[in-house]
Amino acid sequence: MRTISLRLIAALISLGAIAACSSRAGDPARQYGSDPYLPEPHEYLLPPMSVPKAIDWQGGETPTVSAGLKVEALATKLEHPRTLCTLPNGDILVVESNSPGTEPFRPKDFIAGKVKARAGAAAKGGNRITLLREADGDGNPELRTVFIDHLYSPYGIVLVGDTLYVANTDAILAFNYVPGETRITSPGVKLADLPAGRLDHHWTKSMTASADGSKLYVGVGSNSNITENGMDVEEGRAAIYEVDRLTGAKRIFASGTRNPTSVAFEPQTHQLFAVVNERDEIGPDLVPDYLTSIQRGGFYGWPYSYWGSHVDVRVHPQRPDLVAQAIKPDYGLSSHVAPLSLLFSEGQRLSPVFANGAFISEHGSWDRSPLNGYQVIFVHFVNGRPVGEPMPVVTGFLGKDNETVRGRPVGLALDRSGALLVADDVGNAVWRVSATQSGT
Amino acid sequence: MLAPNRFDNLVSPVDLQGQQIRSPISHSSAPALLHRGFIVAGGVLLIAAFGTDCAYYSTGLWQWSNFSAWLITAALIVTLVAVLLLLIDFVTGRAGRINTASFILVAADAALSLVNAFVHSRDAWTSVVPQGILLSGASTILLVIAGARGWSLAISRGRASGDRS
Repeated sequence: MRTISLRLIAALISLGAIAACSSRAGDPARQYGSDPYLPEPHEYLLPPMSVPKAIDWQGGETPTVSAGLKVEALATKLEHPRTLCTLPNGDILVVESNSPGTEPFRPKDFIAGKVKARAGAAAKGGNRITLLREADGDGNPELRTVFIDHLYSPYGIVLVGDTLYVANTDAILAFNYVPGETRITSPGVKLADLPAGRLDHHWTKSMTASADGSKLYVGVGSNSNITENGMDVEEGRAAIYEVDRLTGAKRIFASGTRNPTSVAFEPQTHQLFAVVNERDEIGPDLVPDYLTSIQRGGFYGWPYSYWGSHVDVRVHPQRPDLVAQAIKPDYGLSSHVAPLSLLFSEGQRLSPVFANGAFISEHGSWDRSPLNGYQVIFVHFVNGRPVGEPMPVVTGFLGKDNETVRGRPVGLALDRSGALLVADDVGNAVWRVSATQSGT
Repeated sequence: MLAPNRFDNLVSPVDLQGQQIRSPISHSSAPALLHRGFIVAGGVLLIAAFGTDCAYYSTGLWQWSNFSAWLITAALIVTLVAVLLLLIDFVTGRAGRINTASFILVAADAALSLVNAFVHSRDAWTSVVPQGILLSGASTILLVIAGARGWSLAISRGRASGDRS
């Protein structure tokens, strides 16, 4: 009895200490690159949070761009635009989508729902793909059509030859595409099933194709923050799949990637890279989201550990054998930025500054104060590896007071002229960022 | 209680008999305290949460921790209703005075359980082990004592006047 009460007192004191412990976040710059600063993990009674209120872009307002660039709205009044894809004829596809919706499981899910609604993340997605045709260079699309309708929480999209692949949350669909067409009405042929089900927590299925077009690579997110919904629902989750384009046969290419929201091949080395959203609720500066090359058969830690072998005590039972194998990611992006799109720059059509590297959109999240992300950055690459500090390219999504948000960047693409397109799922717009000199 | 009359300094055998009969009747017909049943319900839910915490600790099956989180949340809501009913018990004169020791026990238990609800809102193993299950255990000990004291946070007016006589 005496030991029990002593342990109880010790536990209560530690509770108080945790509640009192400062939840102020540090400088994100300490977490950029290959060796990010990692503070001790803390568990909170109420995790540090700051929820910006979503408001519309007021007449004429736009995001801010770095020197030598200008920005204009290419399309507005979309239904939660997420991913973008430029077709060979210059037509731009906008995937309008959101979570298929999940039932609240725990009391905290009701609170989380309210938080999402305030931040503008709960809006219904269009479950469709809109086509924009902007050929005369005036910045106003001459044509806007519903290209494919009645999809099921689509996200990844890639054209290989004359076949357009769309990754719904539960399957990859293949559509025959005739150059120039503005609407596809055929239902699409299922190439492969993807992990979804009644609980579909991280629902986005990012997708790209290998250079020769023989394989598709699909990022599948975990079904929880840190296994709180049980291990059964994590079967085949938190992984990057390799799917044979002809047969639809799939296998896990890499695992332990909590939420690989974008996959892309580095153009010089043809190495597969991904941006991954890491776990929440162990501190404002844990765990850094990352950009990394993806090794075949590699294990990147989730759920057992983060940034290599840093064990997450919330997972039970633990797996020291897997922790020992966990690969350290290549490049930290700092914590809770929520990278959602990875786009290699493919030369220097926008500016010589962007000759070699990748644009990354940071959707931003609310489990950190001050907020982090809410911008599009550029990471330089040398010899096929990310180096240096990231450079902000498109900012101003977040109000200066840090309390309102006008937009959140999601999908990225380059249009035919080399301008950078940014999908904004709170502003329901597509922004076009181009060079000031070229007059495009 | 009896209407005063000019013979009230005289005690007749009828009056004595009346006292003897009336006393048990007035005790049993004292208005029931509204809050008590909700204190019992909240207590039972919290003790059940200790049970599901123990089940999670021994099996690691996530659904047990999920049950605990719901049980504690429901208990807090039921306890909030009990507090409102306790106020009504006083306003309507059903309750005579506060049962100080029981009130402190239950108030301490509600405070522990509120903290415990936040602990249980964490994710996975550490939502229960070690802090969650220790808080549930402590809460159960307080509740067993409150239960032994009869669950009621107030002494009913009927019994209070009976106490005085």
